[in-house]
Amino acid sequence: MGSFWTAALAIAAKDMKIEWRTKTAFASALVFAVLVLAVFYFARDPTAVGALDIAPGALWVTFTFAAMLGLNRAFMLESENRAMDGLLLAPIPPSAIFVGKFLGNLTFVGVVELVSLPLFILFYDLPIIRQLPALMGVIAMATVAFVAVGTLLSSMVVRTRFAELMLPVLLLPFLIPPIVGAVQLTSRVLSGRPLSDLAGWLKLLASFDIIFVILCFFLFEATLEE
Amino acid sequence: MTRRDRALALARRGQVITGIALAGLVGVFIRALVFTPIERTQGPAQKIFYVHAPAAWAALLAFAITGILSLIYLWLKDRKIDSIAAASAEVGLAFSVVMLTTGPIWGKTVWGTWWSWDARLTSTMFIFLLFIGYRVMRGAVVDPEMRARFSAVIGIMGLVLVPFIHMTVYLFRTLHPDPVLLKPSSPSMPGVMLVTLLTSVGVFTVLYVGFVMQRYAIAILRDVKEEAASAVS
Amino acid sequence: MQRAEPTLKARAVKRQFGHRVVLQDISVEVSGGDFLMLVGHNGAGKTTLIRVLAGLLRPTAGTVQRSGATGMVAHSSMLYDALTARENLAFHGRLHGKNDPALVQRILEQMGLAPHGDRRVATFSRGMVQRLSIGRALLPDPEVLLLDEPLTGLDDAAAGIVREVLQDLKRRGRAVVVATHQLVEVVDLATTVGFLVGGRLAGLEPVAGRDAHAVMARYRELAANG
Repeated sequence: MGSFWTAALAIAAKDMKIEWRTKTAFASALVFAVLVLAVFYFARDPTAVGALDIAPGALWVTFTFAAMLGLNRAFMLESENRAMDGLLLAPIPPSAIFVGKFLGNLTFVGVVELVSLPLFILFYDLPIIRQLPALMGVIAMATVAFVAVGTLLSSMVVRTRFAELMLPVLLLPFLIPPIVGAVQLTSRVLSGRPLSDLAGWLKLLASFDIIFVILCFFLFEATLEE
Repeated sequence: MTRRDRALALARRGQVITGIALAGLVGVFIRALVFTPIERTQGPAQKIFYVHAPAAWAALLAFAITGILSLIYLWLKDRKIDSIAAASAEVGLAFSVVMLTTGPIWGKTVWGTWWSWDARLTSTMFIFLLFIGYRVMRGAVVDPEMRARFSAVIGIMGLVLVPFIHMTVYLFRTLHPDPVLLKPSSPSMPGVMLVTLLTSVGVFTVLYVGFVMQRYAIAILRDVKEEAASAVS
Repeated sequence: MQRAEPTLKARAVKRQFGHRVVLQDISVEVSGGDFLMLVGHNGAGKTTLIRVLAGLLRPTAGTVQRSGATGMVAHSSMLYDALTARENLAFHGRLHGKNDPALVQRILEQMGLAPHGDRRVATFSRGMVQRLSIGRALLPDPEVLLLDEPLTGLDDAAAGIVREVLQDLKRRGRAVVVATHQLVEVVDLATTVGFLVGGRLAGLEPVAGRDAHAVMARYRELAANG
């Protein structure tokens, strides 16, 4: 057990250190986020569609697409110099690699979200200070969902020739339950209504998280061996 | 009997079964058009339903079988299982296309909308998208063992996803009910129509089996050819 | 120094990719103090065999038993270009449960890389990368070290350091397996030589003081027959 978490955390820390040094994926994700937020804001008729109506959708499209820019990065790091061989030769459980990559990706996406959220509040002029904890909770739950699936899929897609194209094609169907739920819940939170109204969505999001994190954890090993 | 001979025998049996199913299909069409009464509110266009619903059923069946075979593959690691799963996925893709084309035709003619985001229809659309993803994945991986494993992962993930899609759309609809009410198959369907529907479902199932047998046979023949080619070099 | 249980034992190993059989019926054993040199044409299966012995590839048939830790050095360094030499070693150390900066420093010194410890691997020459890669493999003090063409592209100085390291391993009772073309560099260190012809082990015999020429002549003889 000790070796599992030491390895997973070491891998996550290593990934974050490398990303911090190069910052390329992070910068692209951030620029992308700002652009998408702006496009959504302007791509509507202001007299017909209020900022509050479009805000949740805009936020979640921004988060997911910006995240996809960074998800492939985690495993591409390991294909350079065949570093993955080094991980597989070490006396660590292979699932620790999944958890390490998952945590690294979660941190990456989390930082992108943390930085774009204030921009989002600014652009759309949203009154959310009171609702912030609830909003953060929803964001966290949905993010865990798509990062888990994205991590598993990218571990496969990275070995193919068209990684950048394939990840969205495979990932998007899996985004529907968590993102639709997140949008509904976000919309609720932004309009100041209590989350208890949407117990169904919360249950959906929570069960998706639990089931898919566990499923991806167990399926990861199948993507590894040669 | 060589592998090639066995595959050709399987293909022939598959062709026979497909032939029977196609004959059955003709029978269903005749029954649907001539001997089944016209639905009161929807008119003659409702009869597309006798193709649309069984196609959806066949696509769903193909999807479930691909998913279950994916699980079995990861457990047994027998590449034949992967070949059957892939055959099922390909056949399922074809049925999905039938379903997705007949659906809007039916919808537009009878209810005036090309598409309705109801739980069932949307789930089957996502099954179509997952089939495409499965196919894309297979096309991108050269090594057969890796291709089998990756396909199995997608198959299993897809199988677990579909109930969530269904639930998502259901929740969405409860929250935002569509003004157009859809009742693709009312439980109070008169006996005559039910018989036509069930016959059609049966015929489509046999069609599925026949197609999968042939597709699997083709996969074996391709493999035999590759084996011969690598033995020479 | 022979032990009762061989440190690495391969029995009737077969490995195929799809329908292409790369290794056929390979049986080989090494124990502490052994230095096995694998000789073969490009495409004869040397790299595949090293990967199977290391445990990165599963044999299609046959077994590989390891009674101790195995290290591997290949053409790809398994290092992270964005990290420094020290950080790379520290990371691999952590994967092996060793959080010891003094050990990292010792390895850097042994490989002649102490002055470059805090430079990023991206700035290293080929010879430096190879030495660091060996250092990475030696960090957990493995019982067996597998090397795939370790001397390709190295200048004399770097090659000299690698030879010293291999000699030291042999002296300390570790087992070494080297797949190589450059027989001249290691033939005097080798105790056993294995000849890989068309995926099979056409011969496995003691070096018995032969020089590179004699060994190559033997290889040509076996290749002509097999």
